[in-house]
Amino acid sequence: MYIGIDVGGTFTDAVLLDNDGVRATAKVATRDDLLSSLLDVLDKVMDNISGHKIKRVVLSTTMITNLILENKYDPVGLILIPGPGVSHNNFMYNADTKIISGAIDYRGREIAPLKKNEIAEVANDLAEKKYKKAAVIGKFSPRNKSHEVEVAKILEEFYPGWNIELGHRVTGQLNYPRRIISTMLTCASKEKYKYFINSVLNALEKRDIDASVFMLKADGGTVPIKNSADGPVETIFSGPAASTVGVQALTSAGETEVVVDIGGTTTDLALILNGQPLISSQGASIKNYITHVRTLSVRSVAVGGDSKIECSGEQIVVCPRREGQPYCLGGPSPTPTDALRFLGLTELGDKSKAEKAMEMIGGITGRSSEEAAEKVKDLVVDTITREIQDMFYKWEQEPAYRVWEVLQRSKEKPNIVIGVGGGAAGFIKQIAFRLDASPLIPQYAPVANAIGAAVSMPILQVTLRADTEQGYYSIEEEGLQYKIKDQKFSEGEAVDLACEFLDKKANANSFNMGQNEIEVIRRETFNMVRGFVTTGKIYDICVQTPRKLLGRFGEKGGGK
Amino acid sequence: MQSRTGLIFFPAFDWAISKTHPEREERLLYTRDQIFEEGIMDLPGVEEYTPRVSDFHDIARVHFCIPSVRSQVTEAHLIASGAALQLGDAVMSGEIKNGFALVRPPGHHAMKVVHGNRGFCNINNEAILVDYLRSKYGLKKIAIVDSDVHHGDGTQNIFYHDPDVLYISFHQDGRTLFPGTGFTNELGGPQAYGTTLNIPLPPGMCDETMDNVVSNLVLPVLEDFQPELIINSAGQDNHYSDPLANMRFTSKGYGRFTEKLKPDIAVLEGGYGIEGALPYVNLAIILALTGFDYSYVSEPDYDPELFKEKKENVNNVQQTIEYIRKTWDNRYNIDLNKIFGSEKYYKRRKSIFYDTDFINEEQVEKVKRCTNCSGYNEIESKIRDDVKVYCVSIPFYACGSCRDQAYEGYYRAKALKQYDYVFLQDKYNDVCLYFNNESSIEEYTEG
Repeated sequence: MYIGIDVGGTFTDAVLLDNDGVRATAKVATRDDLLSSLLDVLDKVMDNISGHKIKRVVLSTTMITNLILENKYDPVGLILIPGPGVSHNNFMYNADTKIISGAIDYRGREIAPLKKNEIAEVANDLAEKKYKKAAVIGKFSPRNKSHEVEVAKILEEFYPGWNIELGHRVTGQLNYPRRIISTMLTCASKEKYKYFINSVLNALEKRDIDASVFMLKADGGTVPIKNSADGPVETIFSGPAASTVGVQALTSAGETEVVVDIGGTTTDLALILNGQPLISSQGASIKNYITHVRTLSVRSVAVGGDSKIECSGEQIVVCPRREGQPYCLGGPSPTPTDALRFLGLTELGDKSKAEKAMEMIGGITGRSSEEAAEKVKDLVVDTITREIQDMFYKWEQEPAYRVWEVLQRSKEKPNIVIGVGGGAAGFIKQIAFRLDASPLIPQYAPVANAIGAAVSMPILQVTLRADTEQGYYSIEEEGLQYKIKDQKFSEGEAVDLACEFLDKKANANSFNMGQNEIEVIRRETFNMVRGFVTTGKIYDICVQTPRKLLGRFGEKGGGK
Repeated sequence: MQSRTGLIFFPAFDWAISKTHPEREERLLYTRDQIFEEGIMDLPGVEEYTPRVSDFHDIARVHFCIPSVRSQVTEAHLIASGAALQLGDAVMSGEIKNGFALVRPPGHHAMKVVHGNRGFCNINNEAILVDYLRSKYGLKKIAIVDSDVHHGDGTQNIFYHDPDVLYISFHQDGRTLFPGTGFTNELGGPQAYGTTLNIPLPPGMCDETMDNVVSNLVLPVLEDFQPELIINSAGQDNHYSDPLANMRFTSKGYGRFTEKLKPDIAVLEGGYGIEGALPYVNLAIILALTGFDYSYVSEPDYDPELFKEKKENVNNVQQTIEYIRKTWDNRYNIDLNKIFGSEKYYKRRKSIFYDTDFINEEQVEKVKRCTNCSGYNEIESKIRDDVKVYCVSIPFYACGSCRDQAYEGYYRAKALKQYDYVFLQDKYNDVCLYFNNESSIEEYTEG
């Protein structure tokens, strides 16, 4: 048996699954005392089942997201080594930022050296301002980490005990501004995240659960909870990933679907293309900063069941904000929920109050109550439908850098529109009708998030970039850089090496990979020619484990 | 007015002329690294687009491809030109204020008639864009400013008789570099005199010269011409590290040039300093287009001491600028009969060499000196005795009699049975006809 737990800002949800499906679900309020909320939800969902029977626990959380959104993290001093390029005035962050000399180029060659006295000055200055955390990020550090490492060494000499985070360790991907943000957030949230991990491990121990424990990441993959301590930012936005993977598990494989999660103030949209959740080409962004975190492509639309409705003349407008509960639930003004109640599409709230709300709208705009309710419902359906179509359009417009990528581009449209969340029931049918798809509200929709967490599996990727002329290769995901011993290092050897790293990584993540299951996502060779002579090769190899789910509980066209 | 800059980055990582050719997969690899590492696509105001694939008609509207469009272009060509069209649409719709198609393969050596690859080019991305914009949006006057180190003889050839397209090129003197053309006396045909301007530069000139040419010639001429759109053929081989040429421009110089020119659409052309130049020049151009500060961009080996211009060369350039400026100012007062004769049709012979594909083409070009429009054009082209072609082109704003005569020419050539292929471009109606003599099949495309 296995358990999925989603620790949200308001509620903590849990499900207990076995190979036949959902055994139990539970929902409790998330309290400040994390441990007690976890124990509470575990007790409800386990209902006297022995902890030893649980083989696997996966958690997702919005904790780190909320910490960042509420600025509740420790101050971090930023030490940047940007070198030439974009103006240094672009590096304006909500942190003490020190720019020091030194530069590395795109092939990892040093183009300007560090200045030691500068580093000492910067360190003393940060120490005077009582900093104990510093993030050091150099441009092109994934190609050559030596500057970052050297700065860290000097800082440690002067101020042992500081928490120092290095850019190349956080991400090996190119994108300096994203790497700065990711490294800063990692440095800032590590301690707080450890508290979360300890609460989880403590709660599980108290209930005799000795299962392997994983965290869900924003891309819908999992990571062993102990390994996740190094990269807490990977868990930002695992909430939407949880619901999307949950829906994926609750429907049949291979479908192209859109997940519509209609809440009180916002509606979250996610795409599942041919059975796989769509990964965003951009990293997850938070507070207008983009990180390097691989995330599912999720769009939030500012419309929901509690959206305020305004009228002027004949016009009815659904506003992108909430003023309180719907009128039929004792709120101050009419909302889409009132329209649904009036039309008999929901049982929520008081029918006579909903009638009153529609009368109010009808009165101002010169419509019957019936027409007013239909109009409100249409407006919400219009907005959501338009956003879904735009998501598909944007997906078709994703950048392509190779001839075959441009040529194989295809148009997709959803077959199924899946509703989760409180407001789903009233709108899903109409949205599906507009998109010429079938509507579906799975039975366990309210706990799709926890189900998603429970069935998620690791998705492991290794990107190997080798430069035989410079004589080194790097593994992007791990921030590792190694020397190439043999000048004749071939493409085949590079692919084998990447697979080896993936294998190691799978073992470290307790992931049993079947033989020949590795997918080679990219294998490219660039011939380096200097003065008409081939002087070396650059290999760009990316391998990945297949995307799998632990179980599926859905059938085409209906929940179980 | 939108303040966004559209960017299409299409490095064609799976396309090369040959394994070790300068036009190979590696060309934009380091540029990719630099642009991605700088986080350019995340900058506020930068919108990344994906390229589309051009239609064959978009190409047939500009080129006579022999024996067919299909035979002359690879998918990579259709995507590179499609990228330019995509940005053209985005500028016209107001989605973006300007755009940069950072694409390969390049195109500015491709002429009207295409028998093969010349100077790494098969089809002309900028010309395809210009004629697409004119036929789709009814634009009339467009300027192309070519900042590639090589003379854009293809673009010049395509618009040589077109008074509505101003072509200005500054480049390394043709006596010292491929393709060996682009001299000050190449000023356009009798129907478009002055709308082709060439500024050959002595080897070794630096940023100050580019600045001088732009400020004292290009900008004033553009001010006079009042184009509805400015396109930049953004070649980057004037850079000091380019292995195929000898100029001394820097990335900052290119940034300043772009900032001053303010092109609506820039399209990458040449530039083969794939490590020393392209990552930095492209970055500077993008920053200048978006309005960001490019002053922090610099090459690792840049040493200002090594960038001093020779006085005699500076004077020489100054004279060229003054000469061209005077020619431009007097273009309506010049007696064209003295230059082109007084025949009703202006005729010239040309030999064209395709350096990549080793083809020698012989051409006879004929333009009607029509007083009601810019006149229809005919080209007879042959390669040895193997292939003989007749091409006729009707300009956008052709008068009725030029249109009739051009169609007569097409049907006459078809009936003659002595040309292997017969083409007609009717830009007035946006229709192209193509006749294959051997198979007697006539094909037709339209916009």
